[in-house]
Amino acid sequence: MINLKSIIKEYKVNKNDTITALNDINLTFKEGSVNILKGASGSGKSTILSLIAGFSKPTTGEVIVDNKRISKLPDDFLALYRRENIGFIFQKYNLIPNITAKDNILLPLIPNNPDEKYINKKLDKVMKEFNIMDKKNIIVKNLSGGEQQRVAIARAMINEPKIIIADEPTANLDEKLSIEFCNIIKDLKDSNKTILIATHDPIFFSLDFVDNIIDIKKGVIQI
Amino acid sequence: MILNPYILTIFILNGIFLFLGTISFILSIKIYLGWDIDSTTQKQYKLEKQSYLASVIIKYIFIIKLFLFLFFIFILDKLSIVIPGAMCAAGVVNATDYGNSLFILKLLNIYIFGFWLMLYNINIKDETLPYTKMKYGLFIIAFILLLIEIGLETTMFLSIDPTKLVDCCGVLYSSSAISYVSNLFTISPTILLSLFYINLASLLIVYFYKQKELYAILSVTFLIISIITLIIFFGTYIYQLPTHHCPFCFLQKDYNYIGYLIYITLYIGTFYGVSVAFFNKQKYLNISFFFILIYTLIVSYYPLSYYFINRVWL
Repeated sequence: MINLKSIIKEYKVNKNDTITALNDINLTFKEGSVNILKGASGSGKSTILSLIAGFSKPTTGEVIVDNKRISKLPDDFLALYRRENIGFIFQKYNLIPNITAKDNILLPLIPNNPDEKYINKKLDKVMKEFNIMDKKNIIVKNLSGGEQQRVAIARAMINEPKIIIADEPTANLDEKLSIEFCNIIKDLKDSNKTILIATHDPIFFSLDFVDNIIDIKKGVIQI
Repeated sequence: MILNPYILTIFILNGIFLFLGTISFILSIKIYLGWDIDSTTQKQYKLEKQSYLASVIIKYIFIIKLFLFLFFIFILDKLSIVIPGAMCAAGVVNATDYGNSLFILKLLNIYIFGFWLMLYNINIKDETLPYTKMKYGLFIIAFILLLIEIGLETTMFLSIDPTKLVDCCGVLYSSSAISYVSNLFTISPTILLSLFYINLASLLIVYFYKQKELYAILSVTFLIISIITLIIFFGTYIYQLPTHHCPFCFLQKDYNYIGYLIYITLYIGTFYGVSVAFFNKQKYLNISFFFILIYTLIVSYYPLSYYFINRVWL
């Protein structure tokens, strides 16, 4: 369960001016639900995601994930929280282009320093799950857009996080690959992952497995 | 006034400490007065960010200050070459009216700075940051002491007169000296040694029974007795001279810088010993007893080896 309580998030533009990215946001996301945050660029969708992921802290209010006050955690604990709970899929995938798909996927495991047997077991599991086993040793920049995204999803899933956060995940995909992505999201929902997607792609708005569609405009939730 | 690269280094570092320390001091007061970890207000989130900044600054100031204590001793030793009459750091300390006060304050400060660093490390290991207020309260006191230390240090270095004859350690640490040190020589070495080893034995017993408050008290008495026995008894065996009691000379190259090892082990042992009174940690107790034991072995080695070689005590 994710709770956002009375969240205000302001960014300082210069000494005197601030921009209010989120204004008194109260939201609840249930475990195992698929949630779509829709809105135009600059509406505050990504800010909500970054607060839940612990990338930033609110100006006031608090974020609670499974009874843990995420917004009150010190940085070292936040890093641990992200490692154990969050899988992040970025708009531009954020893969390292000059290393292999396998090495990209294994990146989140590095801080845990696990043994090789454990690594291989995990790697095989996610690569099979996202159908990229044959791309294991291919340099990422040589993969197609859809393949790169599957690598990015596999990387987000390698730590078996409870929460999957995706920021404009289909912005760089064609319609066929976007539908493929939606199928992956459905599978993730079936495995009881809580999924949060910030998007303005209409493909998500008609999906039958989506639990919530939240419309945000200028940092305020539209009812 | 003496100015050399070492003293200039101290002056420049003190300037940096003053500047960064003042920023941290102002932030510390704000954090101490306004901290409420349960609050989700803008003020509290801002304090959390400022706390992160202030902690990092203070942490590095204090870590550098701990090492600078050794550097300070090293400078005093170096200065003894240019000050007429001084044979080691003791002569330089006594060359001005401020040296002794500065030295005692520096000793007190390294314990306070060390304690702050310990508090910081324990605090960041708990996600509720339970010692934040205490940490900044301690820094407010520590910063005032740091200011006094910087003031005394600057005054001391600026008021050293290289043309003025000073007493050497042989005079300062003798029974004929006109100071509180001479009073120590009225105590029988046998009584002092008995107290030293009884204190050690008590620490051992208390260590096994894990009586942490008592252990902390015994650590303080061990520190005091250790310094006295070092001057009155153990030091003479390091120098192999029954009349030489200086607690500084064995920091020099002639004695393989053994003084640094002696003082560092004594500091770590007693520091962790005192800390167990505040933090109930078995690890600190183990570290403390280990270093106190190492200290005892080092200082005991000198009279024992002297006796086994010469078959006679000094």
